[in-house]
Parts: sequence; structure tokens; C-alpha cells
Amino acid sequence: MRTGHMKLSPGQLIALSDSRVVWGWALAGGVALLLLPFAVSNYGLTLVVSAFVAVMGAVALNMLTGQTGLISLGQSGFLAVGAYANAILLSDYGLPVWLTLPAAGLATALVSLVVGVPSLRLKGLYLAITTLAFSFIINHAILYAEPLTHGPNGIFVKGATLFGLDLQRGMPLYYLALGLTLVTILAALNMTRTRIGRAWIAIRDHDIAARAMGIDLVRFKLLAFAVSSFFVGLAGALLSLQLRFINVDVFGLILSIEALAMIILGGLGSIAGAVLGAVFLSLLPEALRLFFGLVSDPNSTFYTNYVFEIRGIAYGVVIVAFLRFKPDGLIGMWRDIRKYWSNWPLAY
Amino acid sequence: MEFFLLLVSSGLVAGATYGLIAIGFALIYKSTGVVNFAQGELVMLTAYIGFSLSNSFGLSFLPLLLLTIPVSMAVGLLLERIFIRPMLGEPVFAIVMVTVGLAVILRGLTIIIWGSQPANFDAGIPVTVVRLGSVPFYPAQLILIAALAVVVLAAWLFLRFTRYGMAMRAVAINETAALLAGISVSRIHALAWVLSSGIAAVAGVLFAANFKLAPDLWFQGLKSFPAVILGGMDSIVGAALGGIVIGLIESLAQGYIGEGMREIAGFVVIVLVLMVRPYGLFGSRNIERV
Repeated sequence: MRTGHMKLSPGQLIALSDSRVVWGWALAGGVALLLLPFAVSNYGLTLVVSAFVAVMGAVALNMLTGQTGLISLGQSGFLAVGAYANAILLSDYGLPVWLTLPAAGLATALVSLVVGVPSLRLKGLYLAITTLAFSFIINHAILYAEPLTHGPNGIFVKGATLFGLDLQRGMPLYYLALGLTLVTILAALNMTRTRIGRAWIAIRDHDIAARAMGIDLVRFKLLAFAVSSFFVGLAGALLSLQLRFINVDVFGLILSIEALAMIILGGLGSIAGAVLGAVFLSLLPEALRLFFGLVSDPNSTFYTNYVFEIRGIAYGVVIVAFLRFKPDGLIGMWRDIRKYWSNWPLAY
Repeated sequence: MEFFLLLVSSGLVAGATYGLIAIGFALIYKSTGVVNFAQGELVMLTAYIGFSLSNSFGLSFLPLLLLTIPVSMAVGLLLERIFIRPMLGEPVFAIVMVTVGLAVILRGLTIIIWGSQPANFDAGIPVTVVRLGSVPFYPAQLILIAALAVVVLAAWLFLRFTRYGMAMRAVAINETAALLAGISVSRIHALAWVLSSGIAAVAGVLFAANFKLAPDLWFQGLKSFPAVILGGMDSIVGAALGGIVIGLIESLAQGYIGEGMREIAGFVVIVLVLMVRPYGLFGSRNIERV
């Protein structure tokens, strides 16, 4: 157990971490991630980039749902806006990629403000359904705004080069994804240390009490939508770079459910949990593939025939099982383990 | 005028489906406070159960419906036991997310069991066109609209006059007080799921008989949300009316505004409605105390 550990100044209270051990591990993890491309195959790298996109999406959704308590079933819509904004600016207008990425985030944030306005009057499930409605409306708009979005034909995303490097494949894509993910996580971590983050948590815990304490609900709820969607938009832009071809079908309802499953699995409201949940769930299909490869005979086409269904069922089972047995998620399990060992042998 | 009447008739038919599904939503919401995101999947599952029953026994319409409803009710009870009952006492958000998970599971299972190809569901309803005035209807369409009326009437009578109906309303008003009065709240919750699955069976079989039976039938559940919101989540009659209104709006928007409006007109309407009246048109307004 940590002893003699007390906080003497406000600065210590809001420090990201005051433990050298935590900083050490974070540094080691960072170095490992920097060196990873030299150790794994191209296929492995693709998986890791997908996991990065998932982490960005989950961390961003966690700001909105986990910290501010605004349940959103419209993440797929926001992701679509980010991906399309990036693709259109990049391929059709030929803007450089360092400009289109933030522009995609900003465009998504602007759209989310439109979605956020009803959230000022709605709570809980009504809001969830409204965001769901918005994601359908966005998909519909993309499908029918053909001059801008190429409608059902989709867009080929090309021309993302920086310093002569092709950012859409291999190592450059990996480092871009790594950078954006780190920025997202750091932004989310630092957000919780500020007045804004504390206001969000107050709104989640009791919005009327928060208002009575002088928190401007309109401002902070809209801010939560905008900030969260900015990063979802970035994630969408990254996704479009990785996929190289996007159409509306990529952004189905299942993505929104996946994102919610990630933060529930990780532990609602915790940034580390969102990261864990996203990594776990985005590698789950791969684990399923390996599992089916092991247990079923090689000629069986069961898995390849029903890959989407099996994946869907796995998500569903994960959501249900965690809510029932481990409502605190993976991060809760981690805390239990830590407490057990630090109190050992006095733990019961 | 002819065109308008045609749009109205197709709107009524679509609206009756929405109404039936929305009543299922409302029943569960009313007594358990949970929005059942798996309602559309229940409708799909029960439609496929009806399809299998019809294939193996070759029943005509009414016996088929009378057989499908109890089977579906049993399935509903089973799902409630496995997925919802263990969550009793957990926060509403957690239970709602369980229904979301349940929805994804049912969607996958249905495709794995019955395949992803659309099927023609012959429910034993004649296909001769009936003319009401100048508007042609298929008998299946008329049966669908009639079924909505029957279900609304039955639900209203049940809630108004039977012992269990009254208990259900009591639980809806105040769960703790109902518990104190000796009502088994968990039994009422199970009953809500059973009844809701029965209504889902009516909706599923009739929808499949009218349109087609395909694994994207669950989407009708999401498309019924506008009807539920418009009806105010906890009102049976409101849900039925909401369904009809949304069906009409979608059909007219498709006809007069443009292609594809059928898919989103309902969602646009609820976003607008919720901005003005956050509790739906007929919903009861919650006054929050701190």
C-alpha cells in the first residue's frame, strides 16, 4: 500500500499523475508503440491502426456519454461527417492533408452543435433517440447530396501526402494514427483537469444541482458535443485515410453500438477504461477469427459466411455480460486487482 | 386526388405497423420505465417463428396467428428471464443498454438460423384486391389496420378493467407504492414483456404477409421510434395514433417532397417535435424535484 502519500497543494490534486511509476510505465508504453512498426507485419499494423481509430472514437464518446452523461446513439453519423469532410476536401478540392484533418474535425463539431441544440431540452433516452434520428438523417443527406458527396457511388480517398510520404499506408499511416490518438487521449485527460471537465462531471451527476452551482448548462452541454465530435471527426478522417474508399454503408448503426459497447466494457466515465475497451473490442473480431480457426474444421464456411453476424453477437454478449457481471468494466477489474495486491495479505 | 388517396392508403398501412410496434414499446416503457431497443428484433424474430410454423403446419391465417402469439409470448418470457430479470434494481441506462445488446444478438441469431435471403411469407391470406371507394386494398392491408384497432381496444380494456391491468398501471405510476400494496412488480415486468412479445407477433406476421420477410425487418423497430415519441412513450392510444400519423407523414412526404423522404420524414418530425415539446405530444410531463 502507498503510505505517506498526501496532497499538499491544489496543483497536486489536479496533476495527471504524481506517481513516478505511472510516468515510467507511460514512457515505456510510448517507446514500445514508437518501435512497434519494426516488429509486426503489415497486416498487424493495419489492425493496430483500426484499434487507434477505435480508441479515438471511444475516448471522444466517453467525454460526451461517460463524463457529461449525454447518451449518444449517433456516433456513426458524426464519424461519417468527419470521414466525408476529409475525403471531399482531400480528393475533390485537393487541399493538403494537414489542413483537411483539422477541417474534418471542425466540420463535425459544427454539425454536432446542430444536434446538440435539442439536447438542451432533452434528457436520457429522448436524447439517445434524437441522436439516433440525426445519424439516419446525416446518412440520408450524404446519400442524396450527390453533387457534393457522390451519393451512393462513394468516394475514393487519395492524395494524402506529407513531405513526400504517403499517409495512407504502412508506417506513415501508423505514425499519423499514433500521433492523433495520443493527442486525443492527452486532450481528454487534460480536459478533466480543467473547469470544463469538472463542470461536465457535475452535469452528469445532477444537472439541476450543477445549474444551481452556477454552471451554464447550455454552454457546457454544447461544448461537450463540440469537443467530443471534433475528435470523432478526426477519427472519421483517419478512418477514411485508412479505408481509401468510403460510402454510406461503412457508417451503419452498428458503429454507434460498437462505440457504446467499448466505453461500457472499459468502464463508463474513465478515459483509461475507454482506451482498454476500444483496444479489446477492436481486436475481438481478430480473436474470434483465430478462435474459429482453432475449433472448427478448416473446410467449414460457418465463420466466413456469418462473419458480421458472429461479430454482432459477440458485441451483444460483451455488452450484456459486462453490464450484468462487471458494471465497472475492465478498469474496475484492474482496480480490484490493484487493491487486492496492495492490501495483500490483509485483503479478503 | 387519386394520387393523394393512394398515398393515404399506403401511409395508413405503414402507420398501422408502426402503431403495433409502438404499442409494444409503450407497454414495456409504461410498466418498467425501459425503452426496449430490441422491440424491432422481437418483431422480426416472431415473424420468422410464424414463418417456420406456417411452413411446418401449413395453417391458414387465423390459426397461424393464434399459434404464433403464444409461442412468441413464451419466447418473450424466456428473454425477460435471461436478460432483463437479473438486471432488476440496476440503473435504467444499464437495462436499456442490455436491450441494445439483446437486439444485436437477436439480429445475428435470426440470420444464422433462417439465412439472410428474403423469403416470401404466405400467411394464407387471399390476394384478391378489395376496393373501398376508388382506393384498392389488399386484404392483408385491411387485416393489418383492423389488427391495430383490435389490439388497441384489447389493450385498453385489459388495462382498464382487469386485475393485472390495474396492477400494471399501478406499477407504472409508482413502483414502490405498488410493491407496498402487495403487487409483485417483477411479475408485472414479466407480463409486460409477454404481452409486448404477443403484440410483436401480430405486427411481425402481418408485416411479413404485407411486405416481405427479410432479416432487415428489425429496422421497422427503429422506424417506429418516431411514433412512440409522438405518442409520448407511455400511452397506448397515443402510440397507435402516433404510428398512423407518422405513416401518413412519411407516405405524403415521399409522394410530394421527394424520393427517399419515406426513410427519414418520421425522424425529422420527431426532432422538430422534441425541440418544441420534450415529452412528446401526448406524454405525461415529469416535474423534477431536487
